[in-house]
Amino acid sequence: MSKRKQPGRSKADPAPTTQESAGPEPTPPEPMAPEPTPDPPATRTPGETAYDRSARDLTAPGEVDYDDHDLLGQADWVIGGEAARKARQQGLYAGYVLFLGALVYGLPIVQAVFRTSDASSLGDQLSSPEAIALLVASVAALLGAVVFAGRFRGPVVPPMPWIDLVLPVPLDRALALRRWWRYAAVGGLFIGALSGLTIGAGLAFAHLAGPLTIIVTTAVGTALGVLATRLWLWSQVRSWPGPDRGLSLLWRVPDALRELHAESLRAHSANTSTMAGSALTGNLRTARLALTRPVRHGRSARLRPGRPFGVLVRRDVIGLRRTPGAFLSGLGLTLLGGAIVTWAFTQPAAPSIAATIGLLPLYLGFGAWAEGLRLQADNVGTPSLLGTGELTEAVAHVTVPTALTLLVLGGWVAVAGALGSLPGSAPLSLWLILVLVVAGNVLAAFRGSPTFMLRPQMVIAWYAVPALTVVVLGSLVAVLTKAASYTWLSVVSWLVYAVLAWAVSKVRRLTYLHRA
Amino acid sequence: MGAVAVLTGEVRAEGVGKTIDETTLLLPTDVSADPGECIVLRGPNGSGKTTLLRIIGGLLVPSTGTATIGGREADERDRTVRAAVAALLGAPTTYRDLTLVDHLVLIDSTWGGDPATSDDRSLALLDRLGIAHLDDRFPHELSSGQEQLFRLALTFSRPASVVLLDEPEQRLDTGKRQVVAELIRERTESGGTVVMACHDPELTAALATRVVDIVPAR
Repeated sequence: MSKRKQPGRSKADPAPTTQESAGPEPTPPEPMAPEPTPDPPATRTPGETAYDRSARDLTAPGEVDYDDHDLLGQADWVIGGEAARKARQQGLYAGYVLFLGALVYGLPIVQAVFRTSDASSLGDQLSSPEAIALLVASVAALLGAVVFAGRFRGPVVPPMPWIDLVLPVPLDRALALRRWWRYAAVGGLFIGALSGLTIGAGLAFAHLAGPLTIIVTTAVGTALGVLATRLWLWSQVRSWPGPDRGLSLLWRVPDALRELHAESLRAHSANTSTMAGSALTGNLRTARLALTRPVRHGRSARLRPGRPFGVLVRRDVIGLRRTPGAFLSGLGLTLLGGAIVTWAFTQPAAPSIAATIGLLPLYLGFGAWAEGLRLQADNVGTPSLLGTGELTEAVAHVTVPTALTLLVLGGWVAVAGALGSLPGSAPLSLWLILVLVVAGNVLAAFRGSPTFMLRPQMVIAWYAVPALTVVVLGSLVAVLTKAASYTWLSVVSWLVYAVLAWAVSKVRRLTYLHRA
Repeated sequence: MGAVAVLTGEVRAEGVGKTIDETTLLLPTDVSADPGECIVLRGPNGSGKTTLLRIIGGLLVPSTGTATIGGREADERDRTVRAAVAALLGAPTTYRDLTLVDHLVLIDSTWGGDPATSDDRSLALLDRLGIAHLDDRFPHELSSGQEQLFRLALTFSRPASVVLLDEPEQRLDTGKRQVVAELIRERTESGGTVVMACHDPELTAALATRVVDIVPAR
């Protein structure tokens, strides 16, 4: 119950709650608020709410009582009816499916991750300071990603009608938004606990740790899930100017919810719709622009004129200087992916699946640095402004990310060499991985728009093709390298170059496909 | 880009029309323009002016008729045609991480402009269009009128024997329309060909060598 006080005025008669409004299925309110009357009746008419009574004389002296739960129930009923309640119950079913999925797929995958021919060496390596530092860095990166996401799409995103029609009502905002926070909080807690449980169980089943580890990893996963969700909310609060934006909001959730501005909620809800719509229609440019902040850094730097290829390369360098977030996220992902992939290729104790795990961040890190390539693809179909051919332009745009990725991989190879473990096949295999990552990113940038019937599963598959190509072929390279099966490795290396040729043909095809 | 033949600015569109499924976007139309001419396409909204410009620029295949640039089929895939035609048809996609002057320097460099004077040329063009003071702005920081001036700067910053413009006057005040008229006049006086769709009678009267009225399909 919240109160709207008018100082120095007497309190209005408390309104009794009717059976209709207190029951499990609230009835809709009167369609029109009655005209203010100087003397409201002492009892409510059927269907009347506390708000109806108090609204009759907002100018009269007194204090207005609102039954927040009553108002919220009315709003729920009017907006969604019984269907909304059923939809909310489906969240439980989604959790059940997720749990089953973790049991059926998660546990075997984690077991495979830690399955090795040399458990003791792997155990030593996993408990080494380097591995622990990498783990801490990964968790920090994950939490950083959550904070980043919260700027555009926080955990509290009610539908637009709720924002426009219910939030303006003088309800306690913490109560009005609590439901969406609870969805996110329960989801974060559940996913964290499930991840911890899966990893702990995988370690225990692979005999790399005792059964007690399961409890520890589950507890740590749960705590991280809670922390991540609260950081997500905190980041959402910080996405809009306000007086209270400190870290103390992490444990003052109701206050954090009260800090959420209606305009901010509207922006986050619109971002959600834009991203979901763009994702479903395969319009990646719109989704990307919805996620990126306008560039404002480094405007005093100037693009130095020169030969066409050089100036295009310098364009990408200056672009990264002006988008430090993209540069740093690319660096973090490439360092992480490069470390895991190099470890997989240079350490005999490393499980084969380690390369599979490392390839994804490596691929994504390259992609964070390849904005020039995506902008070239965005320009397809518009009259030509640049005087270079499409292939020259594409090669120029992969130069900077390739050089940076090469630098990172070279650094990790040097570290492995300094530690005394560098098989001769490792540099060659890592070269193939680099070619694969370049080809995958060119494929991703020039995939165009889906030309098939837009069904969610097909769109997801369409998205995943470049990344899947990199991960599957890269994993094959890792397995064959570890098995020292060089004949088959040479076959796969041809496949890798075939993917590169496919990517080049995609650049040409997309560039001219628009002319119809 | 390698060695590319330089096409003259002879624009010929003979009986070009466009129909997609059952919908006719452009009835068969003739347009002919020689170097030094400015042809204005005139017609009500939806009559097919932009479609005609896209066909002349080689971005769209006509359903009927043929379009040529300098005697060569208008096809954007042909690098010779691409080198000959500069076009402002809709909003070009700009680099969100480059400033206005960076864009012009990039375009100038990729067309082989002298690096020693590229900055000066770029700033001079921005100055002519009255947006030199915005040289260090990013494209998303412009008003709609400034954005239109920037798009015109992008189009005029590259060499071309044929310039295609779709309503270059839109969102511009009277003074800026005069500046654009001067730029177009300079281009034609230096032997270039301009074909543009225009709704401004004053601009049309001042620039048009010939006016082609486009008849709406319905």
